[in-house]
Amino acid sequence: MFAQFDPLVAYAARRGSRDPEGIAAETMAIAWRRLSAVPADDPRPWLFVTARNLLMAERRVARPHSQLDEATADARYPTDVQTADPLVASALRRLSPGEREVLLLVAWDDLTPSQGAEALGISGVAFRVRLLRARRRFKHLMEQLQRATDRSKLVEMESA
Amino acid sequence: MNHTERLQNAAPAAPTPVLDRDAVFAAIVAQPGDLVVTSNPRRSRSSRRKLTIALVVVALAALTTATAFATGAIGWHDETAIVQKPQQWEALYRAATNRLTLPPGETWPQRTLPPNTITGMSEPGGMAVAISRVRWECYWGNAIRSGDTGAQARSQAALADINANHTLVAPDGSSENVAPPANLQGPFEIFADDGGIQFVTKMYADAADGKPAMLFQSCRVNS
Repeated sequence: MFAQFDPLVAYAARRGSRDPEGIAAETMAIAWRRLSAVPADDPRPWLFVTARNLLMAERRVARPHSQLDEATADARYPTDVQTADPLVASALRRLSPGEREVLLLVAWDDLTPSQGAEALGISGVAFRVRLLRARRRFKHLMEQLQRATDRSKLVEMESA
Repeated sequence: MNHTERLQNAAPAAPTPVLDRDAVFAAIVAQPGDLVVTSNPRRSRSSRRKLTIALVVVALAALTTATAFATGAIGWHDETAIVQKPQQWEALYRAATNRLTLPPGETWPQRTLPPNTITGMSEPGGMAVAISRVRWECYWGNAIRSGDTGAQARSQAALADINANHTLVAPDGSSENVAPPANLQGPFEIFADDGGIQFVTKMYADAADGKPAMLFQSCRVNS
C-alpha cells in the first residue's frame, strides 16, 4: 500500500495542492488507522478518494471565499489543475469538473476505468460514458483552441 | 501527436521529494493501527474454540518466557539520552541487529537517522525489532502460501521470541519519549498501551488458526 505514496504525491501536486507530500502522508496515516476499510486487493481507489477529500479540505481552508465560477465549480472535484502546456490547461479549464476528473484520473494518474469509477463513487458504465464524452469534448476544445492560436499567430505575423 | 498523447505528456512531473519516505512510513506505523480488524462477530463456535486455544497458547508462551510484553510500570522513565548523530544512531541499530534474527537469506537494510532529527536511545533498536518482525511475518505468509510447514514453524518461533523478549508495552499514560527500565536487555519495540500488541498477538493466532488474511495485509503494508 505504501508504494502508492508517490502516485498520491503526484496526484495532489497535479491538482494544485500546496503540500502534496503532506496530503499523501495524511492519506497513508488515515489508511493505517482504518486498515479494515481499505480493500486489500486494490487500495488505489480508496486512497485516491481519501486524498481527494483531503485536497478539498485543504482548498476550503486556503480559499474559504473562492473566486471560482460558482456555476462550474463542483465541490466533489478539485478545480485546480497544474500543467505547463497552456493549450491543454485551457482545454481542461473549459471541461466540466466531472469530465476533467475522469480524464485526468485515467491520463495522468493511471487509474483503470474500474478504479476511477470506484474512486469517484460512480458505476463503471457511468465512468466510461463520462470518459468517452470528456475525450470527445477535450479533442474538440483542443482543435478549437489550436485554430484560435493559429489565427492569432497569423494576425500577429501580418501586423508585424 | 494526438490529443490524448498531448494530454498525457502535459502531466506535470512529480515534485522533488522533500520528506524521507522511510521516516514517513516509520512515523505512520508507529501510530496505533486499526483495531476494528480484530473483531469478527460471525466467527463459528469451532473456530472460536480453536482461536481461544491458540490465544491461550500464545499467552502462555509469553508468560513463561521472561520479560514478555506485560511489564509493569516500575522503572519506566522519560528518555533523557538523545541520539542526534547518524553514526551514533547507526551503531545502536547495528548492535540491535546482532541480537535479532531475520529469515534465511535476508539481510538487514541500511537505516540511518534522518537529517535534522533527534531521537531517543531506544529508537534504533525499536526500528530493528520492527524490521525483524515484518520480515518474519512476510516469511510466514510466504510459507503459508507455499505450504512449507517447516518455514511456518520457524516463523512462529521467531515471532514468539520477538513478542516475548523484544516487545514491551509502555505503562498507560506514558509520554511519547518514554524509555523502558534500564535493567531490561533490549532491543525492544515499545507499544503504547492501546491494544496494539493485542492486535498483533491476535493476528498471529489467527494465522496459526488458518486465517492468515491480516498477516498477509500486515506484510503488504509494512514491507
